[in-house]
Amino acid sequence: MTLLQPLMLLGLLGLGLPLLAHLLGRERPRTIAFAALRFASAGDEVVTRRRTLRELPLLLLRLALLALLVLALARPSGELSRELTVLAAPHDAVLLVDGSRSMELRVGDETVLEHAREAAATLLRSLPPGSRVGLVTSDPRGPVVELTADPASVERALADWITRSSHPRARAPGGWTLDSSLPAALAILDRGGQAGHEERAIYALGDRTARGLGSLPRAAGEVPIIPVPVLSTVGLEAPPGEGGPDPRPEHVGIERASWTPARDIDPRAVRITGALRRYRPGAIQPVEEAMLDAAPDAATVELDARAVELALVVDGARVARTEVTIDGDRPAPFEFTHTLSGEGGPRRATLELLQGDDPMPGDDAVHLWLSASERVQVTVVNGDPSELRTHDEVFFLATALGASDAGGTIELHSLAPEQLEDRVRERGPGALADTDVLVLSNVRAPPEDVAPAIQAAVSRGLGLWISVGERVRARDYNDRLGPLLPLLMREAVVAGTAPGRAEARTEGLAPADLTHPALRGLTGDLGLTGARTRRTVLLETDPARAALDALAYTNGAPALITGERGRGRVALLTTSIDRDWTDLPLRPGFVPLVERVIGYLASARRGAASARLLVGEPWALATDAPVAIRTPDGRLLPEAPDEAGVVVFEDTRTPGHYRVEPPPDAPASARQAPVCSVNVDPAESLTAPVFVARPPSTDDADAAGEDAQRARAHLPRWRPLVWLAALLLLAETLLRRRRR
Amino acid sequence: MTSAPDPLSRILPPALRQLLRGRALTLRRPVWGPRVGRHMSVRAGHGLEFRGHRPYAPGDDLRRLDWRAIARRDRLVYRETHSEDALDLVLAVDDSAGMAYGEGEQQKYRVAAALATALATLAVRQGDRVGLCLATPSRDVARDPVRELLRPAAGQQRLRTLAETLAERPLEGACAWPQVLDRLVAHAPRRSLLVLLGDFLDPDPRARAGAPIEPRDAARVASGEADATDPGERALLDALARPRARGHDVVLVQVVHRDELEFPWGGRELLRLEDSRGQRPAVEGAGLRIRAGYLRRLGAYLERLERACERERVHLDRVVSDAPAGDALLDLLGYLSGSAGRGARDGSAPP
Repeated sequence: MTLLQPLMLLGLLGLGLPLLAHLLGRERPRTIAFAALRFASAGDEVVTRRRTLRELPLLLLRLALLALLVLALARPSGELSRELTVLAAPHDAVLLVDGSRSMELRVGDETVLEHAREAAATLLRSLPPGSRVGLVTSDPRGPVVELTADPASVERALADWITRSSHPRARAPGGWTLDSSLPAALAILDRGGQAGHEERAIYALGDRTARGLGSLPRAAGEVPIIPVPVLSTVGLEAPPGEGGPDPRPEHVGIERASWTPARDIDPRAVRITGALRRYRPGAIQPVEEAMLDAAPDAATVELDARAVELALVVDGARVARTEVTIDGDRPAPFEFTHTLSGEGGPRRATLELLQGDDPMPGDDAVHLWLSASERVQVTVVNGDPSELRTHDEVFFLATALGASDAGGTIELHSLAPEQLEDRVRERGPGALADTDVLVLSNVRAPPEDVAPAIQAAVSRGLGLWISVGERVRARDYNDRLGPLLPLLMREAVVAGTAPGRAEARTEGLAPADLTHPALRGLTGDLGLTGARTRRTVLLETDPARAALDALAYTNGAPALITGERGRGRVALLTTSIDRDWTDLPLRPGFVPLVERVIGYLASARRGAASARLLVGEPWALATDAPVAIRTPDGRLLPEAPDEAGVVVFEDTRTPGHYRVEPPPDAPASARQAPVCSVNVDPAESLTAPVFVARPPSTDDADAAGEDAQRARAHLPRWRPLVWLAALLLLAETLLRRRRR
Repeated sequence: MTSAPDPLSRILPPALRQLLRGRALTLRRPVWGPRVGRHMSVRAGHGLEFRGHRPYAPGDDLRRLDWRAIARRDRLVYRETHSEDALDLVLAVDDSAGMAYGEGEQQKYRVAAALATALATLAVRQGDRVGLCLATPSRDVARDPVRELLRPAAGQQRLRTLAETLAERPLEGACAWPQVLDRLVAHAPRRSLLVLLGDFLDPDPRARAGAPIEPRDAARVASGEADATDPGERALLDALARPRARGHDVVLVQVVHRDELEFPWGGRELLRLEDSRGQRPAVEGAGLRIRAGYLRRLGAYLERLERACERERVHLDRVVSDAPAGDALLDLLGYLSGSAGRGARDGSAPP
């Protein structure tokens, strides 16, 4: 226990004031030596005894009250067992503060972010004199402070950002990963680098989760990244599975939630399913395991079952309520069935956890738009049909879509390549107007007269998914649909055909990139890592083309790659979607993968009930006219489309329901306005601590014992004193009232 | 070479010394002294005052036959006269710290000592024996010269010693009158005249030193019940009966200061009253708030004391220290000789 303001203890001298006032304030009596004293009895009620201290309990209470206040002003604080590492020489530093939702976890009276503020204050005070410091947060709209020699301004900016809540640019914690702000931090260092110090460092303040400090490399180029774990009682060097107790409490959140039409019950019924989960810090584990969210060993987890109440709120009315028992760390599934009443567009629905004391309330609600009528139209062009169902090219795709949660909202149409060509030739580009997603599955290549129609449809928002196979002609695809492809295709190759090897090898899949927009929101292992692929199509690397890898093979080659073309989205699977080249369709992760990819491709066009975004993700709307978007907090924000006819709405920082307000004079039939629900990234609920490595330069510095110094972090302990003082004040009031 | 001042002149004010000229200490009641003196004795003897006739018995002194009576009665009649004995006067003076109140001649102790010395002067002048008991016990009892003084003696030397003792006595400690009375009863020659000089305001503060009067006792004091006062007071009133039982005559000369009788601090000024004997806890408060209760309790006590003296046939003479000491002495002498005196308020028959 140390005092941050020890001089304040001088205030304890003030304790003598009440006594002094008592001694000085009383009247000096005239002393008389008297022989007949026994007749002037002290027992007489009119005789006062002024020299003695009356009301002794009251005096003691007030003295204690005064002492407590002085102690609180001296700001006693406990030192954490870990230490901050600070470079010893004056240097340029940037504070990189994690502003994601996981920092909203309440520990004691404060959130982790508020604890981070204390740690930042300690760090700023510990910087060697002459250092310059800047500030950046992982919140894209958080404060940015350029390098300054005045650490107080950085502290103020941080405090403003943390405390402001009603400001238009108020903090809205989302699912940001800490490493996404590294470029901004480096940019600050670069901008101030002209007249700066040679030594530079980035101090990263965040929680020890995979998306917090765990996402950071040890250094960004020449600049060491020094992790400052907030509220971690174990040293950075603690190996996985060891360390002291984690002060962070466990919390319960909604891990996932989705809905499907339940036409087996009622034409307007919907079935809402999902899972709840208990998140607890647990033991430290490597980042990779935390990212996979591997289930801990059953032997090490002995948790009592915990019952949590969950409610379904539709259009503001609580329509259903259930109790979900969460057993251990495993997800606890839940299901609601609800029949939407009346006609009309999509309905606002919210799943709410009814527990007021959850340390992380941010993940206790999931917002959905429910609709009984909207469906995704998927047209699958089967390039290799077969009479044997299991040999059919699209058997696995169709089965997966039927089995998935979204199956009820997906309407699948299968066409032969010729049928597609005929329809396009007949109806022109309008032939694909009713289709949300077009899947070209092992199709040789669209004819030259059909390809432009597909290109036009994609630029207007059609989702296109190309999967390859024996029949695909890569060159024709490059020629006819080249502008659409994420990357140009090369020839198909057999995996592992190294010279001198007769036996064919297979290629495995690397863990999926869960930050990809199509997969965002999923956690843990998708169940695809065991997939074996025998043949793949190679792709031309082209930095000019904007493409994102969603899946990759263990050799680094992309397996599933996506790109955005105009208003539409295109996905390319570099192996077959049936069992011809790979056993991917047999893997359990195939179902969510297909569902997510179809949803991703479809949401580009429709912006409808299936459009579910995470906090901070832009909402792209295809429209030709200006629109007004109603946000969950009631604001009506006008937005105008760009040249491509796309409205990119970026202010999705508040979780909830967003919708485009239809013009007041629009006919009722045209009131099927686009909607979108925004939720917090469930990955932010994970509080499992990860192993965070110290930067290499400070390791060396420790060895040399020169270049780095340690600063201790302080944990404020004065708040209980204030509470105690308030309690004493109450007791004093009661005592005084009783004495009267 | 200068001689030490006469202790008598230090104690006796000139006015009082003037008053003593031509006065005598006479007692109306007979005494029983071991020596021939000036006071009528209870037994027959060779005095001047006629006592009575009785028939002659062989061996009687023929010179004391009353010839006129023989002539009238026609038988031998013997004429008896009263014997005249010397008086044993024992003075007990309160020399506790409580007697130090008062300035100069008005100090209670000086008044008490002057009265005691005046009585002793008269007694020694007429050949009576004088003893002195100082009420405060000395720490070293074995060497206490006052113990020597307790046994009465006659002569100028005794008077000088007595005056010196009284003049040099430091005023300290507390006086326990019940024990003093017991001591006097035990050591004084029989049929002595015991003159007790003190304020008698706190007869035995050590009986319950430091303990305040309980509310129950205070209520009884207010109602005048004597047996509910503090133990010291009760012990004094009980002890007053013992000297009479031994044939002593007792005179209480209560010397008080006017402040003690009237409590002149009746304003709002804050007072701190400290026990001059150091036995009772100090009392603080505005005089206005203390005065009424004080006067009520004091008056009740004085009344109880008077009633007790009347009951035990003890003469109580209350002397206010600012009044002329000569008046007080004349009153006392008048009472003793049987004539009416100013201070004889108790109505008891003079000795």
